[in-house]
Amino acid sequence: MIAARSPLVLTLLLALPLPAQQEPPTMAAGNAEWAKDVERAASAPRYGLRLAAARKVAGAGAAAVPAIREFAAQRTFDSPMLIDAIADADSVEAPVLDLLREWATQRDFYWRGAALRGLARRAERLPRDGDDLAAWFHSFHRDPSWLMRAYSRFGSLLLGNGEVFAEPEPDPRARVRLAALALGAGRVPPLQPLLDALVDRRTFLGDPWAKRSADEAQKALKAWLGDGWPATANDLDDRAGLDALRTLLQTKSAQTLHTPAPVADPQPAPTGGFEVMSCRNGDLFVSWSAAGEVRFGLDGADVVTLAGPVWDELSRLRAALPPFADGGVVICDNLRLCWSAPDVNLRIAPGRMPPAADEWLKRLARAIEEASAPSLASGMRTRFEQFASR
Amino acid sequence: MLRFVLPLLLLATTPVDEPKSVGFATLAGFDYTEGMTLPKDVTELDEKMVSIRGFMQREVPGGDPVNAFMLVNDGCGCNGTPKLNEIVFCTLPDGVTMDIKTGVVTVTGKLYVGEVKEEGVVTMIYQMDADTVN
Repeated sequence: MIAARSPLVLTLLLALPLPAQQEPPTMAAGNAEWAKDVERAASAPRYGLRLAAARKVAGAGAAAVPAIREFAAQRTFDSPMLIDAIADADSVEAPVLDLLREWATQRDFYWRGAALRGLARRAERLPRDGDDLAAWFHSFHRDPSWLMRAYSRFGSLLLGNGEVFAEPEPDPRARVRLAALALGAGRVPPLQPLLDALVDRRTFLGDPWAKRSADEAQKALKAWLGDGWPATANDLDDRAGLDALRTLLQTKSAQTLHTPAPVADPQPAPTGGFEVMSCRNGDLFVSWSAAGEVRFGLDGADVVTLAGPVWDELSRLRAALPPFADGGVVICDNLRLCWSAPDVNLRIAPGRMPPAADEWLKRLARAIEEASAPSLASGMRTRFEQFASR
Repeated sequence: MLRFVLPLLLLATTPVDEPKSVGFATLAGFDYTEGMTLPKDVTELDEKMVSIRGFMQREVPGGDPVNAFMLVNDGCGCNGTPKLNEIVFCTLPDGVTMDIKTGVVTVTGKLYVGEVKEEGVVTMIYQMDADTVN
C-alpha cells in the first residue's frame, strides 16, 4: 500500500540495506520449516517417516538446500536417505546441482556414488560449459568405487559417449548396473551382460551378490520388453524359458546373443575370507580354500596358491586368534571377516579392527607378497589402514 | 482323556502349512508408488507363511538386541536406500529379542501385504510376524 501511494517511499525502502548476515524473515521462516524436515529425514524413529521426510525435502529443490547445508555444518552428515532422495528427484536448480557436485567430488564422503548418480540421471539437462561436463564425468571412469565408475559412465553415455560399454570393467556388478541404467534410459546397451547375469549364482562368503545382479537385470529387461516378457522366462532355471527370452531380446535389439550357461561358485569352495566394502575407496574381496588357494575379486579372477607349510602355519595362527567381541558401529565402509573353526562372521567399522586380526591379516599379506604377488599384497595392506585400531 | 487325544488327532490330520519360499525378486520386482495397486504376485502372499532370505538391519541405530528389524536384500547399500517394497518389517514374538546377525539369514513367519500408514504417510507394505531367524 505504501508503494502504491508513494513511489518515493518505495525507492527509499528498497535503498535501505538489509542487516548484514540476516535473511529476510520469510526466508528464515522457510529455512526453519525445512530444517525440521531435514532433521526428521535423519532421525525420525520410523524408517518410513524418515523416507517421507527425505522425499519432501528433496522435492523442495533449491528452497531446502540452505537447511541441508546448515544441518551438514552442525554434525556429521549421516542421512544417505536424503542424498538418495535428492539424487532421485528432478530439480536442476543451481543450488541442488552444486550440492550434488560437492558431495560427488568429496573423496571422503561415504555417499558420493549416490550424489554422482543424481547428476548422471540429469546429465542431459545439466548446464554445459564446452566439454567440461563430459570431462568431469570421464574423470570418474576409473574410480576405485564401482558405483562411481558405473554412474559416471552412465552420465557420459547420456552425453553421447557410446564407448562406455567397451571400457574395461573388473566388477561384474558395475557391468550389470550400467547396462540396466542405460536400458532404463532408452539407450540399448549390449544386452549379453544382462542375459549372462540372469543365470549367475555366484556368492561371496554366503552373500548372494550375483543373485542381486540377476534381479536387477531381470527387472530392467522386463521393463524394456513390457508385455512381451515371456511367462516361461520367470523361471530362469528353465533352459527353454531362457532360450525364449534370448530370442525375444535378439529380435528386438538386433544384437547377436547367446543363451548363457549357469555360473556357480568356483571350486574348491572357499572356507574363509574377508571383504572390504568401501564407497570411498572401492571394494576388495579375498577368499581362501582349505588348501591355501587365495582368490581375489568377486569373481576370484586372481589366484595365489600359498605353499603348504606357509598356509598351515597361517591356519594355525588364525584358529588361535582370541574371540572378537565388537566391530563398532558400521555406517557405510566396513570390513567383514568370515571363516570357520572357530566360526567368525563380523563386520568391523573403520578404526575398530581387533589388533590380533590386523596382525594376522598382515601376515597373510606378507605370505602373498612372498608368493610373488606383491601388488595384490600391497593392495590389501593399503585397505587395512582404514580399519586399523585407533 | 478325550480332551487330550482330540487335539493330537487334529494335529495329525491337518496338513502342515509349509512356508513358501519368497525372494526379493518378487517383492521388489516392481516400481512402488504410494497408493498403487500392488501386483497380484505379492498380494496373494498376504497372510501366508513364507520364508525370505535377506540381511537384517536395525530400524534405528544402536547396539542392543532387537525385537523388530528390517529384512533387506542388500547388505552393502549398493542399491541405495531401500524402497518400501524392498523391505520386510519383521517382528519377533512378544518378549523375544536377538542380536542383529551379520550375513544372510532366512526369516520364516506370516507375511502381511498392504500399505500401512502412520502420520499420514505409508511406512511399510510388507510386515512379518517372524517365528524363526536362521
